Amino acid sequence: MQVIDNSGALLIECVNVLKQKVNNGWGSVGDEIVCVVKKARPVNAATSASAVKVRRGDVRRAVIVRTKKVVRRPDGRFIRFDDNAAVLLNNKREMLGTRIGGVVSADLRMKGWGKIVSLAPKVV
Amino acid sequence: MRSLERGVSWELNDGRFGTDEQVDGGGWVDWTRDDGHRGSGVDIRMELLTYLPPPTISHFHTDGTSTHYLSHKVEIDSFSGYRIYPSRGRLFVRGDSKIFRFSTSKSESLFLQRKNPRKIAWTQVYRRMHKKGITEEVAKKRSRKTVKHQRGIVGADLAAIAERRNQTAQARLTLRTEALSKAKAEKKAKEAKKEKTKPATRAPAAAPRISKQQMKGGKGGR
Repeated sequence: MQVIDNSGALLIECVNVLKQKVNNGWGSVGDEIVCVVKKARPVNAATSASAVKVRRGDVRRAVIVRTKKVVRRPDGRFIRFDDNAAVLLNNKREMLGTRIGGVVSADLRMKGWGKIVSLAPKVV
Repeated sequence: MRSLERGVSWELNDGRFGTDEQVDGGGWVDWTRDDGHRGSGVDIRMELLTYLPPPTISHFHTDGTSTHYLSHKVEIDSFSGYRIYPSRGRLFVRGDSKIFRFSTSKSESLFLQRKNPRKIAWTQVYRRMHKKGITEEVAKKRSRKTVKHQRGIVGADLAAIAERRNQTAQARLTLRTEALSKAKAEKKAKEAKKEKTKPATRAPAAAPRISKQQMKGGKGGR
């Protein structure tokens, strides 16, 4: 899925969905996942704004922010995005990047990712 | 139904307060619901089935509390133009972050097939374009009439213009002849005056000249 923060990764693949106790088959918006970085932006050793730059093949954590599969809101409405997207995290549930580019689902707020929601340029 | 599952609470008019589980549906009671809706009946649950409470959306906060909101806003379908009431339909966010709302899977499917709503006969876009079902008052353009005003000019005010216009032919004629005769009389008077002043010796050769001069003078005088 796409990575929409500026951590350096472009494309990540989900490897495991972290949900308490259960080995769930799928993850939804707001779920933490373990992922492998499949594609990343070329790391500039000389100029690096943030110290942490993700490389290809890294195994990281991420939180899903957009899904193609519909997500049901409490008011009964369904939300669906055109793609799957995630934001990279570190082991302490903190964001790796500093900025987010793109739309983010508002369900994140309900699952406790207020920081991501506040950084996002647009929340639906 | 969804509303009953959530345990709608209401106050019975005789002071009792309870949820649908607590009240038995046997007796005849009057009740007032949370939002002021009043009713009475034998089987309360049956009553409530017909009056659905407004749907609520709950926002869950990280500290464990939740606030419930009414999702009032009725959206419109981006394809067909129908109204989407809360809890109905789907919301689709495209890659360019543009939001599309669909009231039914029908409109969603057609949208994804990239059909043009202007060509689909049952959509509002089509109907507006082909002016279906719009009454005359809306459709017809009001014809613009420029109202002409009678205005007076400098030198001839409204009254003078009206006078001139309303002059009958007779009146005009009389005025004209009067003016003519008046002019003639004036001319004659002038000629007579000029002849008197000029000496008689000059008469023959100068006569035509004088008369011409007089005429010119007369004309100028008139």
